Amino acid sequence: MDQRTAFIIAIITIVALLIVFVVSFVIYMRTPAPKGCEKLKIGPKNCEDCDVEGCMIYKERHKEQKEE
Amino acid sequence: MEMIVSFILAIVSYMLIDNVVLSRFYGICSFIGVGNKVKSAFSMGLAVTFVIMMATLVCYPLYFYVLVPAGIPFLDTLVYILVIASLVQIVGLFIKKTSPSLYKTLGIYLPLITTNCAVLGVVQTNSDSQLDFLTSLANGLGTSIGFLVVIVLFACMRERMNGYNIPKAMKGVPIALIVAALMAMAFMGFGGMVG
Repeated sequence: MDQRTAFIIAIITIVALLIVFVVSFVIYMRTPAPKGCEKLKIGPKNCEDCDVEGCMIYKERHKEQKEE
Repeated sequence: MEMIVSFILAIVSYMLIDNVVLSRFYGICSFIGVGNKVKSAFSMGLAVTFVIMMATLVCYPLYFYVLVPAGIPFLDTLVYILVIASLVQIVGLFIKKTSPSLYKTLGIYLPLITTNCAVLGVVQTNSDSQLDFLTSLANGLGTSIGFLVVIVLFACMRERMNGYNIPKAMKGVPIALIVAALMAMAFMGFGGMVG
């Protein structure tokens, strides 16, 4: 296999990977979340396991806890 | 027989001696961020294990049989990121469809796997060090099991620490970093185990 053919194959592979990524992303976004997980978003209730202190949600969560 | 022994030794070496988190300092963000509850840490570790293994299997032939013959091995990072991002989407899709409980536990942490440099680190090491396929597999398996073991151990210790009276200035990330440093020193004890 000469260099040019290999180069074309490589470019086709990269484009194919890009298409796979876009298609999988679209399918993932369109797939409905399972029952009970519909409103699973980043927020104080769902971020209990995280302790990144620079995050706004962390600060708000701890502010609320202190006030209580 | 000799090949199997060297394969197992390579896994042990990548898992304990050259640990991805404590020795190479990859994947620290998820290690600190998710490693404070055992359940989430275990789920995260399993998902990262799956993605690392799949990424190793896909990226190895892409680099050695597509990019190198074409004379464009410098595009490896771009290709690896595309592969990892696609894999994470597919894993997310699979979890969404088959396991609602796992999705609930892992849902908001799932995108973190894409940005976990441990995954990119493994495939990059495989190509940069020109490892053969079997050693690449050992690297992927050892690294991912090492990540899983370390993040679960770390979460266990942090859960136990909740009951201790820690000075205010040391609570949270500072004490977590000290624990991680002590773990790294403990893991140094494995050095020299595999000759």
